Amino acid sequence: MIAVATTPQLPPSQHQFAEIIHRLEAGGAMLPDSPENLKQIIGIYKAYAVPMDFYWRDLLYIAERVFLNPLPFFKYFLPQEYLDRPNSYAGDQSELRVWRGGGGAHPELLEFMAKGETGKPWPKLLHHLWHDRVNMEFAEACMRAMLWHQNMGGGFNEFLDSDTYRANADRAIKAYFKTNPLMLGLYKLFPDMFLEQVKQLSYYANLGLFWEVMAPVFFEMSDLYDEGKITTVPEAMDFLYNGIFAVAARPIYHHVYIAGECYEIIPKSQGFTWLHEAALPYVEAVFYRTAPFRGTKSYNAQAGQIPDRQEEFHYGILYADVFPVGSAGIPPTLLMQDMLHFLPPYLVEYYRAYCRGEDDMLIQLGISFQRSMYCVTSAVIQALRQATCYPLDDPDPDHLRANRRFFEQQLDRFKRPEARLMDIQNPNYR
Amino acid sequence: MLTLLLVLPLAVPAVLALSPPSLSPRRVSSFAAFSLFAYSAWLLLQFDPSTAALQFSEYHRWIDPIGLSYSLGVDGLSLPLIVLTTLLTWVAILCSPLEQNRSKFYYSLIFLATAGMIGALAAQNLLLFFLFYELEIIPFFFLISIWGSGNHQYAAFKFLLYTAVSGVLILVAFFGLAWAGEGGSFDFASLDLSSLGLRTKLILLTLVLVGFGIKVPIIPVHTWQPDVYVAASPAVAMLLGGVLAKLGTYGLVRFGLQLFPETWTLVGPGIAVIGSVSVIYGSMSAIAQKDIKRMVAYSSIGHMGYIIVAAAAGTTLSTLGAVAQMIAHGLILALLFHLVGLVEAKAGTRDLDKLNGLMNPVRGLPLTSALLVLAGMASAGIPGLVGFAAELLVFQGSFPIFPIPTIICILSSGLTAVYFVILINRTCFGRLDNRLAYYPKVTPSEQIPALILTVLIFVLGLQPNLLLRWTEATTTAMVAGLGLPPQETIALTAASPPLAPTAPPPISTPPDA
Repeated sequence: MIAVATTPQLPPSQHQFAEIIHRLEAGGAMLPDSPENLKQIIGIYKAYAVPMDFYWRDLLYIAERVFLNPLPFFKYFLPQEYLDRPNSYAGDQSELRVWRGGGGAHPELLEFMAKGETGKPWPKLLHHLWHDRVNMEFAEACMRAMLWHQNMGGGFNEFLDSDTYRANADRAIKAYFKTNPLMLGLYKLFPDMFLEQVKQLSYYANLGLFWEVMAPVFFEMSDLYDEGKITTVPEAMDFLYNGIFAVAARPIYHHVYIAGECYEIIPKSQGFTWLHEAALPYVEAVFYRTAPFRGTKSYNAQAGQIPDRQEEFHYGILYADVFPVGSAGIPPTLLMQDMLHFLPPYLVEYYRAYCRGEDDMLIQLGISFQRSMYCVTSAVIQALRQATCYPLDDPDPDHLRANRRFFEQQLDRFKRPEARLMDIQNPNYR
Repeated sequence: MLTLLLVLPLAVPAVLALSPPSLSPRRVSSFAAFSLFAYSAWLLLQFDPSTAALQFSEYHRWIDPIGLSYSLGVDGLSLPLIVLTTLLTWVAILCSPLEQNRSKFYYSLIFLATAGMIGALAAQNLLLFFLFYELEIIPFFFLISIWGSGNHQYAAFKFLLYTAVSGVLILVAFFGLAWAGEGGSFDFASLDLSSLGLRTKLILLTLVLVGFGIKVPIIPVHTWQPDVYVAASPAVAMLLGGVLAKLGTYGLVRFGLQLFPETWTLVGPGIAVIGSVSVIYGSMSAIAQKDIKRMVAYSSIGHMGYIIVAAAAGTTLSTLGAVAQMIAHGLILALLFHLVGLVEAKAGTRDLDKLNGLMNPVRGLPLTSALLVLAGMASAGIPGLVGFAAELLVFQGSFPIFPIPTIICILSSGLTAVYFVILINRTCFGRLDNRLAYYPKVTPSEQIPALILTVLIFVLGLQPNLLLRWTEATTTAMVAGLGLPPQETIALTAASPPLAPTAPPPISTPPDA
């Protein structure tokens, strides 16, 4: 729980978003506290968590098993082993049980995978070709955003350029292509090409391990809301905030399994942790930056063409225009389509009552998703404030001023006209 | 048979007035309008297109001392316009708001206006024509002033003033025709202008030209039109532009070209110049507009100019093209007004600077936008749509007589593409503005009128014979009266001496009575 000073000790902020800054100082979120907002964000967390349960499993499957398969046609066909893989934060086996549910794939996910949206008991391949499936392309786009922007903090990205990493990757590549002289020949000719692929696969593992945590967090929040134990937006943010610190030290690694042997490309012993190597880079790369719509601008990341300045990247969900379908940096429509399948009934009813009802539910839920991600970002900002500044109830005015400077710097990033911070303050933004 | 076309719309107001509150006036009106359209379409199927003679004629003496008789009849010029009138009446009722205030009065006025227009088109007596011609002014005045928007009171009075002046000029011309001619009768069949001198004919033709020119409207008597079209509700604008304006062009052809063939040939170049100026003015003004409804209104001035040029040329093809353009323009303009009305109703604005991204498949108006694109293409004369067939006939028929005005018209059809690209690009494409885009969706009942018109625009564009076959004999007979050599002869042997003018055929076959 975020401790909050009971009496304000600073004069009002003169910042453009002063009201929101005061709310953050009072332990609140960027999203206003209202039952409607709470209903939207919790409903969306639940709808997001089900496909996320697929995303993290498949991301790890690709990173660990598909690896450098030159023709990965079936990389989205999750084997039973990965569907059964127990979540480290759910189920009886978990050391830190975040969600009270089981550790295997979520029952709603399994049901959807069996019948799809069409409800037809077709073979899996037909569902896939009909695009009646979980859109892993969204997860891969998020992974690529992290790979693309690189250097989002922590030491993960630097490690990918280290000799240790190169040696580990080399071992794994040679083992993987042991029986494939053509690919080994190519590796000899173009070693960097394969190394780049392995770096990308390390980001698959990174994101998979990040979402393995987030899925049970969202499931638990949904259950708590259903039980009436989360009743306000700040409470929801607190849950996320506490969760962030609870799992902050979770190791981030990349293991590959080739012919029954485990190759530790990024070993756990490297000491990379969830908060600094996965969560913060993810929020920065995906929530804030991502990439412009393809065809409008293009950058060559390897050639160092991507500027570091964040102001040149404002295509993340916190800025995305959800209205024109498919034009934001991440493919939000793919995620929106995935979430549509798993909306809780109360949210379906809610969307039916507004705008065009079922006809524009994708957009309505996309905007709810935007709201919910502002709540997540609020939790991250509060966590960063806790890590780098001072408690909110600190009695020292200098410390409170430092906190305010921190909040103001964070909110400066939403001064861009396309930022949706002010939109989400309005309940009629749907 | 034609009387039923008048009785039905005149009876609807009485039915509406006496109907119980449980009976929806909209339903009654829709049914009546569809019946009227179906009956007129049936008449069209019974019509013999091979003859220029009047058909379904009816004659009853009415007020002999003033020369008024109840004389009705249709030919290939008037019947297609009557069918257009009944069709657009039905479509206008379908596209009227579901919850219309004072709905009984509203629908009654629409039917009264329709009766007036049908009566004018079917009348074979000058005074009877005038009676119906004036009859439709009153309902339109109320329709604009009560159910209009913006500056509707001003627009309604402007409409009343202009059309009243138009009526006065036409009445004077009609008196001149009846009393200065030899017959002294107001029946079309009895009109004999052979004894009139050129000067008298020129005066009378000028009155007819200005009188009906106001109704079309042509430059420079057009200023009422944009204000009125913009102020009127989409359904009323549809009737104003789609049908009422056609009474103007009908009058020019019927009482100008057909009654004054030699004089028409004489003043033809001047009329063609006025027509081409109208075309250019309409197009340029449309380009300059920010209000999409006003843009469509100005585009109408331009497209009506084609009809004027074609009628002025007076060749077989051009006259046929003029009639075809009346129908094509009626359909396209009705579709445009309906769609623009839908955009305004849903988006709450007609401002080009505010509208954007309506093609958005989820939050925009995708089908309406797509049909708007199609209507723009039809208006610009894209092949395969009805506008192309009509405009091609107009250009092909007019070019041998008036090459420069025709070239101006052809160039202007390019300008049509310019302003429709502006309209479509600004409204339909681009990014949907988050702050504005909470538009309610367009319901199927709102789409039906647009789909009906779209189907007709496609069908008549792909098979123009369905449009032309009813008219050809009539326009050929009219053109024979002008004394012009056949168009092909003009084109091939330009140096040959002109043929001697022949006497015009009787304007119609005498009624049986």
